[in-house]
Amino acid sequence: MEAIKFLEPRASVVARRSAIIADLVDLLPRECVVHEARELVPFETDAFVSYRRLPLAVVLPTTTEQVAAVMKYCNRYGIPVVARGAGTSLSGGAIPQEDAVVVGLSKMTRILEVDPANRTATVQAGVTNLSISDAVSPEGFFYAPDPSSQLACTIGGNIGMNSGGAHCLKYGVTTNNLLGVRMVLVDGTVIDLGGKHLDSAGYDLLGLVCGSEGQLGLVTEATVRLIAKPEGARPVLFGFDSSDAAGACVADIIGSGIIPVAIEFMDKPAIEICEAFAHAGYPLDVAALLIVEVEGSEAEMEAMLKEIVAIAGRHGVRTVRESQSATEAALIWKGRKSAFGATGRIADYICMDGTVPLGKLSYVLEKTSEIVERYGLRVANVFHAGDGNMHPLILFNANDPEDAARAEEAGNEILKLCVEAGGCLTGEHGVGIEKRDLMRHQYSDVDLNQQMAVRAAFDSEWLLNPSKVFPLEGRPAA
Amino acid sequence: MQTNFTAEQLADPHVAESEKILRRCVHCGFCTATCPTYVTLGNELDSPRGRIYLIKDMLENGRAADAEVVTHIDRCLSCLACVTTCPSGVNYMHLVDHARVHIEKTYRRPPMDRLIRQVLATVLPYPGRFRLALGLARLGRPLAPLLRRVAPLKPLAAMLDLAPQARPKPSTSARPGSRGSEGERRGRVAILSGCAQPVLDPGINEATIRLLTRLGVEVVVPQGEGCCGALVHHMGKEDQALAFARSNIDVWIREIEAGGLDAIIITASGCGTTIKDYGHMLRLDPAYADKAAKVSALAKDVSEYLSALELPEVESRGLAVAYHSACSMQHGQKITMAPKVLLRKAGFTVREPAEGHLCCGSAGTYNIMQPEISAQLKTRKVKNIEATRADVIATGNIGCMTQIGTATAIPIVHTVELLDWAYGGPKPAKLA
Amino acid sequence: MTLTPHNEADAAYVIRNAAAGGTTLAIVGGNTRSGFGNAFACHDTLSSSGLTGIVDYEPAEMVMTAKAGTPVAEIEAALSANRQMMAFEPMDHRGIMGTTGEPTIGGVFAANASGPRRFVAGAARDSLLGIRFVNGKGEIVRAGGRVMKNVTGLDLVKLLAGSQGTLGFLIEVTFRVLPVPQTVETIVISGLDDAVATQAMAVAMAMPVEVSGAAHLPQTVRGRFLSGRLPDGEATVLRLEGLEASVSVRAEKLTAAMAVFGEVSRFGAEDSRHLWQQIRDVAPYAGTPQKPLWRVSVAPSAGHQLVAALRLEAGIDAFFDWQGGLVWMRMEADPEAELLRRYIKALGGGHATLLRAPEQARAVTPAFQPQADAVAALSARVKQKLDPAGIFNPGKMAGA
Repeated sequence: MEAIKFLEPRASVVARRSAIIADLVDLLPRECVVHEARELVPFETDAFVSYRRLPLAVVLPTTTEQVAAVMKYCNRYGIPVVARGAGTSLSGGAIPQEDAVVVGLSKMTRILEVDPANRTATVQAGVTNLSISDAVSPEGFFYAPDPSSQLACTIGGNIGMNSGGAHCLKYGVTTNNLLGVRMVLVDGTVIDLGGKHLDSAGYDLLGLVCGSEGQLGLVTEATVRLIAKPEGARPVLFGFDSSDAAGACVADIIGSGIIPVAIEFMDKPAIEICEAFAHAGYPLDVAALLIVEVEGSEAEMEAMLKEIVAIAGRHGVRTVRESQSATEAALIWKGRKSAFGATGRIADYICMDGTVPLGKLSYVLEKTSEIVERYGLRVANVFHAGDGNMHPLILFNANDPEDAARAEEAGNEILKLCVEAGGCLTGEHGVGIEKRDLMRHQYSDVDLNQQMAVRAAFDSEWLLNPSKVFPLEGRPAA
Repeated sequence: MQTNFTAEQLADPHVAESEKILRRCVHCGFCTATCPTYVTLGNELDSPRGRIYLIKDMLENGRAADAEVVTHIDRCLSCLACVTTCPSGVNYMHLVDHARVHIEKTYRRPPMDRLIRQVLATVLPYPGRFRLALGLARLGRPLAPLLRRVAPLKPLAAMLDLAPQARPKPSTSARPGSRGSEGERRGRVAILSGCAQPVLDPGINEATIRLLTRLGVEVVVPQGEGCCGALVHHMGKEDQALAFARSNIDVWIREIEAGGLDAIIITASGCGTTIKDYGHMLRLDPAYADKAAKVSALAKDVSEYLSALELPEVESRGLAVAYHSACSMQHGQKITMAPKVLLRKAGFTVREPAEGHLCCGSAGTYNIMQPEISAQLKTRKVKNIEATRADVIATGNIGCMTQIGTATAIPIVHTVELLDWAYGGPKPAKLA
Repeated sequence: MTLTPHNEADAAYVIRNAAAGGTTLAIVGGNTRSGFGNAFACHDTLSSSGLTGIVDYEPAEMVMTAKAGTPVAEIEAALSANRQMMAFEPMDHRGIMGTTGEPTIGGVFAANASGPRRFVAGAARDSLLGIRFVNGKGEIVRAGGRVMKNVTGLDLVKLLAGSQGTLGFLIEVTFRVLPVPQTVETIVISGLDDAVATQAMAVAMAMPVEVSGAAHLPQTVRGRFLSGRLPDGEATVLRLEGLEASVSVRAEKLTAAMAVFGEVSRFGAEDSRHLWQQIRDVAPYAGTPQKPLWRVSVAPSAGHQLVAALRLEAGIDAFFDWQGGLVWMRMEADPEAELLRRYIKALGGGHATLLRAPEQARAVTPAFQPQADAVAALSARVKQKLDPAGIFNPGKMAGA
């Protein structure tokens, strides 16, 4: 794919490449600098694999001080910096550029403190999302935001993208569960925002940093809020004859005042893909499937389920299946969380991430099919229905440039549709490179200029992840 | 993901196969999380996704392997945890196999590396030579600290460290011939004696033979069988690996034709993974493709075979067993439940160490070739195992037994040794 | 002069003019939180009270949009008719600030005013989905949207929430609402000292019973709640909400677990609603406007240590919310800002906000916790980007 442009590499930086690498090697231990041509190739992309750019060098620091030293150096010489956690971004947030140093946090994987009395964990930025829950599980806690890539994605990346996940319907997204960060500013200054306490003494810079896609600084440590593990949790499968019925059922469940922990939606193609991988027992004879998870004590789950089943009944639910064991529940979630990857078994895909008001779910689903069909492509839908966060997976053949271009155009149309329906371009994957050029569909020039002005308070020279988020045209001069 | 191969490149069936594998990868990165080397080193280049990308770049450009690529491929344990994790079904095993062959063909390793690999390939697969080498190792052990100080010689030090203090007596279990079943015959199987295992721990196959014959299964040790080829296969020495495979296939096919075989029983899961892959390895050899497929289909880990025999429940004996699932068992052969179910049925309390998906660092000759990473993985593994406070460790692979055994005081035995004991055999010597 | 625009175009016009002329503006809604922050003076007052009305309310989608000057009472009435609520329990500051008037929804978000549920359900800022505001150049800026999940661009919504009117003039807010729990019950453990109470609250929070309020009311304040009907001794109070069936089961479990700490009694829905509203509005310290009042946010385990340390050196009275992490602290005489802030730092960090104090004390005491130099510098740059001429509430927040 070629439609999205990157900033022209700064010639002065590229020309000094060997000198820069020599300096980086001086700054950091040898195993922390990657610069051989061959070795840079695997860093040219992330999980938005359609776009690729080689970095100038990659550094893999192990301490905040090392990150600060690199930032200070890059700032001094005007070298762009692109942060990278596990490289699982679906919007190209970690794709570098020819004049950029990638700062990878993958060696910073220490859990610094688990504090059960204050229900917090403090971890280095390279710790994976799931490792936090694993580490606090013996104390009876978990870390709530659960992006589908939680096995691999890092907390640093989660903060960069303000990641969500299936269970955010009840527990909120990253920003609602983040208490503090240690971060390195563009000039190498290290600051602490927040801590184990709540709210801020001044402006909510923590809230601003969360979801800033590596453009305001580089987070090296995070303190997150922990939640007591529920007594029990039970995903229930509801099969419907049409996406419409499933969509309407979601709106009714939420409207009735019941808030399950998660309501996930899959259409027929998605069900088939996931079942083939996970063997979770998803019904294959339905057009749409909802996974509704309730949690709490047995009595509580029973009470909630009774109401949900009644609502589903009014929408002509065809099959209702409760998971009978923890293993079965785990399989149901494994299938759901592997949906994107499992799609790789049948085709290449790009994954959209628009969010729409619940009342527009059915409409947007229908329009999405129309759009994709018009481009002669196929689509699988699997998404967080409870909060209207849609993930149409547009299937295409990456080895066919025309097919790829069509997929990209179809995707853009779908995202514009989400905005027109009163929603937004991205609910949890971030703007990255992917949705950058669509930003003007959601925001006016004034809106975007204000965001860029605030960005400039942190990085006036556009050194931090500079090709992302904001359209290249119309940026204020550095 | 997108690939860039010319039609000419794709005419090579090996390249075509790799291209198909690469096309399935969506670059999601899930595999990084369960990769022991990524978890240890924190570098994408030492992760499955990084290696896939390095291999892709090398193959697409039709380039000879170079030091950078080789470094990262060499660090791969071939534990295949990534294959278990991958939602897209990327066959990393066959991709990395292809890369290793490509490296072996196009890359000239430094002299000491070459020498050590040659020694391993010439000694380990041959029980006689291996036995002799272990004797020499005991004499050489005082040199280990010295060798450790010189980087290219570290593998030699690692080798000396791994050699057992006492060399077990040669056993009769590997002697060719048939061991008749007791009572009514329920089946007839061949058992793989293997190469290193009978030298390091002949008790494993002795226990297997005792248990199977007691259960009414005739066990044959066929004449002429040798190393399964895994060792050299993982070094990219394809010709040698295929020669081992063909030779074993000949032996087993002869045995099938002579008296029929219900299964080929393997007690080292590392070997099992390779033998189950013979069908693929020889798919392009018209003379052997069918026979290899047949052998692969008959190959069974001893725990798989025992599961089908429906052994009776035995009363608990109050012994806590930490079950360590070898990578070749859980990831290579996808056998996850059977050994635990068998142990529970046999009256043992099974405990599962945390991070069970991570390799112990043994991985064939990995602990010799990559001693530093291997040692870190070993420490991590032992810590997790010891946290279970089990009385004994059970596993299904000789490599893991050797590796873990050097770092913990908890006795480590093969799963089948415990089963043999539970169903009427002697108590494993290590528990005495 | 007080300027009260009745539409956003007028508001923008007023602000453009002010920016051009260097006229500073005190931003107010209902002015019920007047006295917040550092003392400052402005040429004119700009009130949002002319921008009123609920613009859009979709109960089924749990989202409401309202003009910034809409009275909170009007919003709560509309929500209540649909059995919904603002989960963050916006605090009513009139009691402690000694003010009158009608709190506005814009004021709630500008002050990030949250109540007892904040420590589990998030602050006002966590419910705020989108805003429209006029920046210091007189431009109308939209940020966020009306859907729950939205990571499109920089989160200016969070930045404006709690910025006390120093970054922009809010004209419209869109926020998430939640169903009102079917019932509520309060477990009271009596006679625990501050330290043991903190332990008990931590134990409760680690249980899978979804406690939605955890406060500790020492002897000095206990009698001020529920007209003195809480049992004798200190009262550690835990709130449970949800479906009837579920609350009773959880209450049993929690009662059993808390019995090891002290005598447990239970209060039903009616009393509970009343009690938690009193805690929310800091009832014990209402009506004593001369005595300095601090709102201190620290790690939950640090709250009681802070109070114990200060007691040795100053005359204070205090009670605890948020599992011990929110300390409402009334000083007998001097605000003792330096002492307090030194202890906060020593106990792992946090912040103390001086809500009220006699004028003299206010004049010399930074109302907001001074920040590290780099953070203060950053905040000042952010302010400059939104309000380049520095016309909004100048000096109200440090560095702003």
